[in-house]
Amino acid sequence: MNFLLKRLAFYLVAFLVAATFNFVIPRMMPGNPADIMLANANAAMGPEARAALMAIFGFTEGPLYLQYIDYLKSIFTWDFGTSVKFYPVPVTDMLMQALPWTLFLTGGALLVSFSIGTLLGILAAWRRGTTIDVIASPTALALQSIPSVVVALAGLYFFGIANKVFPTAYAFDPALDPEWSLAFVGSVLTHGFLPIITLSVVLVGGYLVTMRNNMIGQLGEDYIAMAEAKGLSDARVRYTYAARNALLPSVTALALSFGALFGGSLVTEVVFNYPGVGNLLYLGIVGRDFPLIQGQLLIMTLAMLTANFLVDLAYVFLDPRLKRA
Amino acid sequence: MTSVLKTFLRNRKAAIGLAIVIAYVIVAIAAPLIAHYEPLARVGRPHQAPSADHWLGTTRMGRDVFSQLIYGTRNSLMVGVLAGFIVTAIGTTIGITAAYFGGLIDDVLNFLTNVVLVLPQLPLLLVLAAFLGQVSPLAIALIIGLTSWAWGARVTRAQALSLKTRDYIQAAEMIGEPSWRMILVEMLPNLLSIIGFNFIGSVIFTIITQATLEFLGLGSPLTLSWGTMLYNAQNASAIIVGAWWEVLAPCAAIVLIGVGLSLMNFGVDEIANPRMRSLGQVAKALRLERRLSRQRMQEAK
Repeated sequence: MNFLLKRLAFYLVAFLVAATFNFVIPRMMPGNPADIMLANANAAMGPEARAALMAIFGFTEGPLYLQYIDYLKSIFTWDFGTSVKFYPVPVTDMLMQALPWTLFLTGGALLVSFSIGTLLGILAAWRRGTTIDVIASPTALALQSIPSVVVALAGLYFFGIANKVFPTAYAFDPALDPEWSLAFVGSVLTHGFLPIITLSVVLVGGYLVTMRNNMIGQLGEDYIAMAEAKGLSDARVRYTYAARNALLPSVTALALSFGALFGGSLVTEVVFNYPGVGNLLYLGIVGRDFPLIQGQLLIMTLAMLTANFLVDLAYVFLDPRLKRA
Repeated sequence: MTSVLKTFLRNRKAAIGLAIVIAYVIVAIAAPLIAHYEPLARVGRPHQAPSADHWLGTTRMGRDVFSQLIYGTRNSLMVGVLAGFIVTAIGTTIGITAAYFGGLIDDVLNFLTNVVLVLPQLPLLLVLAAFLGQVSPLAIALIIGLTSWAWGARVTRAQALSLKTRDYIQAAEMIGEPSWRMILVEMLPNLLSIIGFNFIGSVIFTIITQATLEFLGLGSPLTLSWGTMLYNAQNASAIIVGAWWEVLAPCAAIVLIGVGLSLMNFGVDEIANPRMRSLGQVAKALRLERRLSRQRMQEAK
């Protein structure tokens, strides 16, 4: 319990750091920060709206520390300002509408890539030097160095344009209404398939290599020899003895991969025109919509910290020693 | 130094990786000799398929894709190496300082590293790049370098901590060697493989991230790089109109340098941890053993 409380406090500080970046970055830039931020807004919004927007980002009269406190207040009351491009829609609303799609992509990709990568890693370590290891491990390593842009573009071209197997845009068929029907769920799945596979391809290599290397470390331990001497079946030794212990560092590596996961999903959504946070962000960049761009940093930070916390929970489950600590 | 190089080259993966990287460096240096056309000049009709005149076709603007690719190599390599240096310098300094001095210094630095590790990096880079305006390659190298050091710091710290418990370090400390000598002469040489690993990994990461930032439209449109090529291709809907060459060329260039660099890294890793050196050798050993046992069986008959 203590462990989890400590982690929560840590994540709170991390979120504060991200929020502080958001506060400091516009102020570090040359020129008047408010003008840079609202450069495109003059035509779209009146002076009152402009003043309100500036207040949300802390560009109020007064000393810097008061501005900072005002800014933090607005963040913690879940107010990320108003979009400049889609004025007067609040950034929070836009992001919350897009976030479920991003979570669907990232969650799906995580599930696919972590299970496949870990399973193959276990097998590659167990049959070290045989065909599966010699083929899977270097392939995994090569996959790791391929950017998600490339995988996404390749997937789009081969399965979306050259052979029209999968749709190339949107999260579901625009002709359908969002409801719990078979047709709609099917449409969501076919539209999500290519983006999820794209993300999985980028991630699977890392999980495979980590698991393989952890497994190799475990296989030399005495308790493995003991389990074999007891005459346990290969599968039992492999999964409930070696793999369970090798999984622990793999879960740490999982937490470290969230950056790649969320970053990759931003890019993938742009390529597949998928209505998640990443695509919204792209519109924000094109329209120089700074409140939107800043809002996505906070939302992505929250998503990443939550994911990290879930990993901490998994850690407590996998390593009973932490429960007592 | 020559012995390090020899060990490195004896590793087949590392040697292949090094060859790929050297080929890229040569292409970058000799770009004007290799490219037939001015990369930014209109030299053909728009969206021409690859031909003898234009090996990799032309863009929508009628520019030669092959020449753009060749000149773009310079940009990507320079940004990658520069950011790699920054990342490695910061990461190594923080990692070793934290491990060597311990106590409060370690607590603070380690906390800082962990915070940076859980921040989403690409979104942060996007905010930075967006406020800087359309950023030059130099600015991209700087912002990637200044935000990506955490992983290296963490790994270096872990390795340095384990070094610190070795007998020879404790002996050196008892003799009364000054801190700078302890760090630079006693510890640093033994951390070289992890520093090299960090550097090569950072170069890969930077090349990929630069391409991503530019693809998203945050780079300066005047620079010539693989990322802006992708951005222009995306803007011209190159994939949708079937001009695959415009997208394939920069993609292939990025993938190949990535594979080359990670092969080098695989080599560094295997040299540092012989336990990982399994793929080829273990297969060979297993085959040999099988053949020997078969021979023995036959002899026994």
